[in-house]
Amino acid sequence: MKDCGGDYGATIDLYLDKELIGPDLEEFRAHLEACEACRTGLEVREELFRLLRRSRPLYSAPDALRTQVMRTTELLPSSAPYTPPRLRRRILKVLARPLQSAGGGLLRWPVLVAAILLVVAGLLPIPGILRQASANSYVEAAVAAHRSSLNGSLPLEIKSESPSAVTGWFAGKVPFNFRLPEAAEEVGHEQIYRLTGGRLVNYKDGYAALVSYQMQQQTISLLIASSKSAVAAGGEEVPSGKILFHYSKQMGFSVITWSTHGLTYALVSSLPGSGRQSCMVCHQNMANGDHF
Amino acid sequence: MSWNHDGAGQADATGIEHLDGLYSYAMVLSRNHAEAEDLVQETYVRAIQALGRLRADSNMKSWLFTILRNLWLNQLRKRRNGPQMVEIEVEDGVANSIAEPSKNSHDLYVSRIEAERVRAAIQELPVESREIILLREYEDLSYQEIAGVLDCPVGTVMSRLGRARTKLRALLSETLKESDSALVRGTK
Repeated sequence: MKDCGGDYGATIDLYLDKELIGPDLEEFRAHLEACEACRTGLEVREELFRLLRRSRPLYSAPDALRTQVMRTTELLPSSAPYTPPRLRRRILKVLARPLQSAGGGLLRWPVLVAAILLVVAGLLPIPGILRQASANSYVEAAVAAHRSSLNGSLPLEIKSESPSAVTGWFAGKVPFNFRLPEAAEEVGHEQIYRLTGGRLVNYKDGYAALVSYQMQQQTISLLIASSKSAVAAGGEEVPSGKILFHYSKQMGFSVITWSTHGLTYALVSSLPGSGRQSCMVCHQNMANGDHF
Repeated sequence: MSWNHDGAGQADATGIEHLDGLYSYAMVLSRNHAEAEDLVQETYVRAIQALGRLRADSNMKSWLFTILRNLWLNQLRKRRNGPQMVEIEVEDGVANSIAEPSKNSHDLYVSRIEAERVRAAIQELPVESREIILLREYEDLSYQEIAGVLDCPVGTVMSRLGRARTKLRALLSETLKESDSALVRGTK
């Protein structure tokens, strides 16, 4: 079989798309060996195929959308099947607030604003509770970012083990004076974790810094935001020097939050233990066990 | 896709892995950032609501794309009876997408200009070509899966895909020549 004159055009598409199987595949392979026109046809199609592959993904979802979707999926797990359907629908409506609708989108602003106001008015009248809600929101954002790091949807934008390089990279990119936790920079103690890099993530109306560490083949994420927008509160309280650490479990992850120097930190990991035990996993080699 | 966690506290695969794909699909359907974001968010909300009714052997990815498409079609139907929205220029979407900070790894494979040309060419196609190119070339759905999402016979998928590729190849002919030349130069 020589030049078929292009009769195999549709078959070439099937072949390229791996839709050709069995005897048809064998027959076409044999034909391809002999037919120059089909080989050329295949090459032409492969050029486009390669170009499109190189341009993947066609679009990347904005970080704000990613965060919103992650919150929706994590706050409404299907593992809570006993939520009454009506309540579930109402919660979903509130959570599904639009991001930047140009108007006439799928969701109606007035209804959602009213729903949010009702929730705020009904559930959050006390400043202490407001503070706790804000703290919870920060913890949720940190856990969502950590999960995305684990599944690869938030790749590091700077990869470095150097604290100064990572600090330098964030300078000017985040709306606060970025600094890594002092213990992480401390020299003279053998650290069993290592810095791997960081990236920007959306938090509220601005950026927060997501820093990544590696320890015992586990990824540890540290979300850093200004204390003006992020609060550390609630959970088991573990004092150390002038800092009060707040330990909690969220979605199966260990979360430690604290505020210092105008910044609020949220460390998320799968480390075992509770409270102080969890802190000591990283800081077991420090000379003063009372101060992290 | 699962919305649960395993006992070790390690998050298993979630629907978030399809977020870029769903957003891309929403962008090729709507060619509008805000609409695309709303569509994707609503898709996840609907998916959570319906998750309990999904069979264990169902194709989760195709299911999510089908939900998004149905939402889009419903939106179109409503729009026919309501006030028309002003469509934002596609180029705006391209520019914003490129400005996203998570594009570093993308630069490993393709120059910004080349990616921009590909997006622009795809957005020039009619909607039935845009969506079939996205589902096959970017999301790797099989003909059968695409037929399920588009609710049409497999034969229709094949013919539409063939036409879409021919049009796209013509629109990208200059880019293909340039990349071919670059490849030749690189091998010398």
